[in-house]
Amino acid sequence: MAMVIEARGLSKHYGETVAVDGLSLEVPAGALYGLLGPNGSGKSTTIRLLTGQTPPSAGTATVLGLDAAADPVGVRRQVGIIPEQETPPSFLTAAEYLRFVGAVRGFEEIDEASAWWFDFLDFGDKRDVLCKDLSRGTRQKLMFAQAFLHSPRLALIDEPLVNFDPIVQHQVKEFLVDYVRRGNTIFLSTHILEVAEEVCTGFAVLHRGRLLATGTPDELREEGRHLPDVFLELVRQDRGHV
Amino acid sequence: MFELFVAMFREEWRVHAALFGPAMFALLPALVGTMAFMGAFLVPVVNRALPAGDLAAIVHVLFLLLGAMVGGFGLVGNEVMNRRFGQASFVAYAARTLPLSERRIFAVFVAKDTVYYLLLWILPVIAGVALASPFIDLPAAAVLRLFLSLLLSFLAGLAVLFMATTVYGRSTVAFAGLAIGAVAAALAVSLATGALPPFPPLALYRDFSWPLLAGTLAALGAGFGISLLLFRPQSAGGERRHPDRFTGLHRRLGRLPYPALATKDLLDLWRSGGGVGQVLFSLLLPLGLCWFLLSLLAPVLPTHGVLLLFAVLAGVLASTMYTWVTAFDTLGAYACLPVGVGDLIRSKLGLFALLQVVPAGVVLGAAALSGGASVAVPALALALGVSAWSVGVTVWLAGLSPNVLVYDPRVLLAYLVGVGLPVIALVVIGLLNPWLGLSALALVVPAALAVRAGIRRWEAADSAFF
Repeated sequence: MAMVIEARGLSKHYGETVAVDGLSLEVPAGALYGLLGPNGSGKSTTIRLLTGQTPPSAGTATVLGLDAAADPVGVRRQVGIIPEQETPPSFLTAAEYLRFVGAVRGFEEIDEASAWWFDFLDFGDKRDVLCKDLSRGTRQKLMFAQAFLHSPRLALIDEPLVNFDPIVQHQVKEFLVDYVRRGNTIFLSTHILEVAEEVCTGFAVLHRGRLLATGTPDELREEGRHLPDVFLELVRQDRGHV
Repeated sequence: MFELFVAMFREEWRVHAALFGPAMFALLPALVGTMAFMGAFLVPVVNRALPAGDLAAIVHVLFLLLGAMVGGFGLVGNEVMNRRFGQASFVAYAARTLPLSERRIFAVFVAKDTVYYLLLWILPVIAGVALASPFIDLPAAAVLRLFLSLLLSFLAGLAVLFMATTVYGRSTVAFAGLAIGAVAAALAVSLATGALPPFPPLALYRDFSWPLLAGTLAALGAGFGISLLLFRPQSAGGERRHPDRFTGLHRRLGRLPYPALATKDLLDLWRSGGGVGQVLFSLLLPLGLCWFLLSLLAPVLPTHGVLLLFAVLAGVLASTMYTWVTAFDTLGAYACLPVGVGDLIRSKLGLFALLQVVPAGVVLGAAALSGGASVAVPALALALGVSAWSVGVTVWLAGLSPNVLVYDPRVLLAYLVGVGLPVIALVVIGLLNPWLGLSALALVVPAALAVRAGIRRWEAADSAFF
């Protein structure tokens, strides 16, 4: 099976702090892969490493066949990203921001795509509002739309559901499942374990920058176990070891 | 109240220390003091060249502007800080989560700014002058008067800016009325007396009197009091709407490198309120002041000397337009886009080049109005060459964070040397023969090299904000 993400011994140090510690991971094409971990476990740093936002201290990351450290802009051209902090530029309106993203990405069908997203996430009434004046949830909708605007083969999304209301959360989960059914891949970082168990086809558990386990929710179901229980067990065990 | 003051003070320190490094930032007062000490030795020389008392006026005006700048940044610049750090971390926003009124926070904010900049700028300047005073025959009483009058000048700038922004927040019509009224009153006084309107802090320095001090303090108290009374926090729930300006502007800027990025920056600048205001307060006003100060030197300068020196200063000030186009970004805003640091720097320089039309127009206008049309071309070359070189040095030293120049003594020194030496050479050359000012255009080549090296440098840096 073709791998869209391959990390080998990936590490990131900020001075004395080790954010990611020797992470090796493979994500196959067509997966909805969940990167799970408590706050501060290194999930967001892993996404930043995979998208070339920061160079690794050691190891390599290949995304869609591109070296993320050597060609970060190339990687970001190919993929869709929702970064940890949903901060679209302050003084563009929501509609202008999507036009801006389309122009930077050289994406032509911006009118149709924007209209679809405003309609799908039900925030068309906010299209002319400055991004700085949008609510947190609406900003998150906008960031979600920009990540999928150009229909990327791979999207790396960091905590995409946290600011959504239950209705939008439901819609978005359905969208993600459908998106991978169409042959695309999603790499999802989250600490909402129920969501991961519900939609993910594979997962990795990260704690204190180290990979504790990988697997699939199907395997756990076959063993009669639930992802939240396994996760808590792994993290508590690791805390006991440290 | 005191706890809030301490928290704000500590936060201000940590913001600066986080940006520039604690040791580097702590050195800034020492650098300011050293420069004041060395500068003080020039006082007797400058006093011989200038009409009596003009140097004191210049220094007081500079502190008035410093106060206005600090006030402006504190209130208007929160937009910049929001982008950099997220407003949740600022004590100034504590009214949202703690039982503190916005008005009380504002009052403490003013007190914090006063003490903070007193320690950062005013005391170091006074210390430098005091140390030099035995060598330049400046009596201790004059040093004390200077301390008091500079502090009052700073507070006057702060009060005027706070009052202007709070009145503006209430009513733009009232603001316009106040501004027109103030200018008209100043003109009336000037016409009636044949001199500039009196500035109480300067008058105190020249001739101290207790009634004048009491009057000045009362006026300042009234300014801050009115600001507090009129202060109305910005409603967090407001939604500002705009029609699509991106599409048309993007098409018009199509010839710039990375037109989408340049369009975003231009809209950021315009809609932040920084369009007209920025041109007025950060360029035209300082340039007007420069012209005024240089015109005092006219008797000792060769023909067209004022214009040529003005063009050089205009070039340096014009280079600060780079800070305008970098103020509203962090690299984090581009984390999800196929854009590198080099692309951002190039796009911002493209827009910067476009904005140079404004200072170029000012220099040509000054040439035409001052009877220097015959040397307008070399004056323009001086302004544009110096601006290009200065922005090249800025990109090399600070990348996308040119505000670092102001607070990191090491970077500031490098900037002053890097820009200062060629500028001094150009001033000398230009004064010898105005047409030699054309040689400033040669600076475009090293400027381009500095930009290229800067891009390589900042692309290799691991930015904490990306």
